[in-house]
Amino acid sequence: MTAPTTPRRSTGRWQMRDIVLAVVLGVVFGFVYWALVQAWIGLQVAMGPAGDLAQHVLHGGWLLVAPVVIAITRKPGSGVVAELIAAFVEVAFLGSPAGPVLLVTALLQGVGSELPFALTRYRRFGWGVFALSGLFGGALVFVFSGFRFGWYGQDILLLRLAIQLVSGVVLGGLLARVIVDALARTGVLDDFAIGRARRSTLVS
Amino acid sequence: MSALLAGEDPRASPLARRDPVVKLALVMAVSMAAIFVLDPVTPAVLYGLGVVGVLVGARLPLRVLAGAHVPFVAFALGQVLVNALSRPGVVLAEPGPLRITAEGLEVGAALGLRTLLIGVLAIAFIASTSPVRLMTNLQQNARLSPRVTYAVLAGYRMLQEMPREWAVLRAAHAVRAPLRRNGTPTRSPRVLLGAVFGLLVVSVRKGERMAQSLESRGLGLEPRTTWRPSPLTRGDAVLVVAVVGVVAAVVLASAAAGVLEGPGALGG
Repeated sequence: MTAPTTPRRSTGRWQMRDIVLAVVLGVVFGFVYWALVQAWIGLQVAMGPAGDLAQHVLHGGWLLVAPVVIAITRKPGSGVVAELIAAFVEVAFLGSPAGPVLLVTALLQGVGSELPFALTRYRRFGWGVFALSGLFGGALVFVFSGFRFGWYGQDILLLRLAIQLVSGVVLGGLLARVIVDALARTGVLDDFAIGRARRSTLVS
Repeated sequence: MSALLAGEDPRASPLARRDPVVKLALVMAVSMAAIFVLDPVTPAVLYGLGVVGVLVGARLPLRVLAGAHVPFVAFALGQVLVNALSRPGVVLAEPGPLRITAEGLEVGAALGLRTLLIGVLAIAFIASTSPVRLMTNLQQNARLSPRVTYAVLAGYRMLQEMPREWAVLRAAHAVRAPLRRNGTPTRSPRVLLGAVFGLLVVSVRKGERMAQSLESRGLGLEPRTTWRPSPLTRGDAVLVVAVVGVVAAVVLASAAAGVLEGPGALGG
């Protein structure tokens, strides 16, 4: 018994290689995020009553995957897709206790992180764009997380926002560029858009 | 790690027979609805029902269920504490420079119990769902592109191999890494970060090979046929009606009893 699935033409611009890259980075970062959660729980215990603030210190780390994938594949939507896949890996395979709500969080993080790249029409990948990516990624999701975790009405709301934004810029923006540059130097990205772009600048 | 990773063959149970996409959607819907509830009583009742649901529906042993609670119980306690200390309101106690308010305690309890509720739903999903079936049904019933579902499945295999990959990398690094007094490799952040980067490089390279092999197997060609269709059944409909009905009944009863509170509670 067979049933044909409805064929839907892909946009043609996403190659299998790009999809798998988003998945692979989602898996690796999912694995590292899982370790990050352990660190976060440890930090939370170590900081005592202020431990709830620890999550903002590490928050930028959750944003990493979007700017990394955008910089490598240079495709519209790739950051959002990568964030969603990373969250899906955490929820469905790693058993994150936050459950599928993480998909909503990931969507907001992805949109925030992707916005600055989209505004440059995926042409500029300087430090500034990465920093803005981390800033927006951290800011947009704060609105939802603040509601989800009941941060509104607390005395420390602005402190939370400030720490999260700094973490977003450093861990979720600048660190992404460091990782992308290091990866590009190893040569594993030669067949992706970033590798082609690098070669064309070398030739010209 | 292995305890954490979703098993390929969840134990036979009523929940394990249900469609994974339906379960995912239900957990999502109830979790999102819970975000709008801000009194301690409603999530506490739902959490209790959730625990019963996991024990009966997923046939999860009590000990396993308790163990799975560890990651988020600490977070829930932190939520109670931080809200009790950081919300303005009627002061209950002032230990040292801190103050504990009644409003803060109540909001904190509501948030902590919500974390428990969402956590137990996530356990119910992960303990009763085979990742492979989840991906095939996402493709068949949620119309996700097979290119995406197969890529994610390949990623799942990769995740299974990742602890081994990590061990290989660590062993390779240990050959040249400076050793501690007792002869074991150091665990300095620098060395660990090097291993994480190595994992990234190895994985990207492996991903490229995976993409090539998936394409060479004809993935992405159309039209596709399905070997084992997995349609939605009456049981799935019953599950949806039961879960939505129970949650609605609890919320309505809570509202009738006058304990239900919405996001307005945050304003203090």
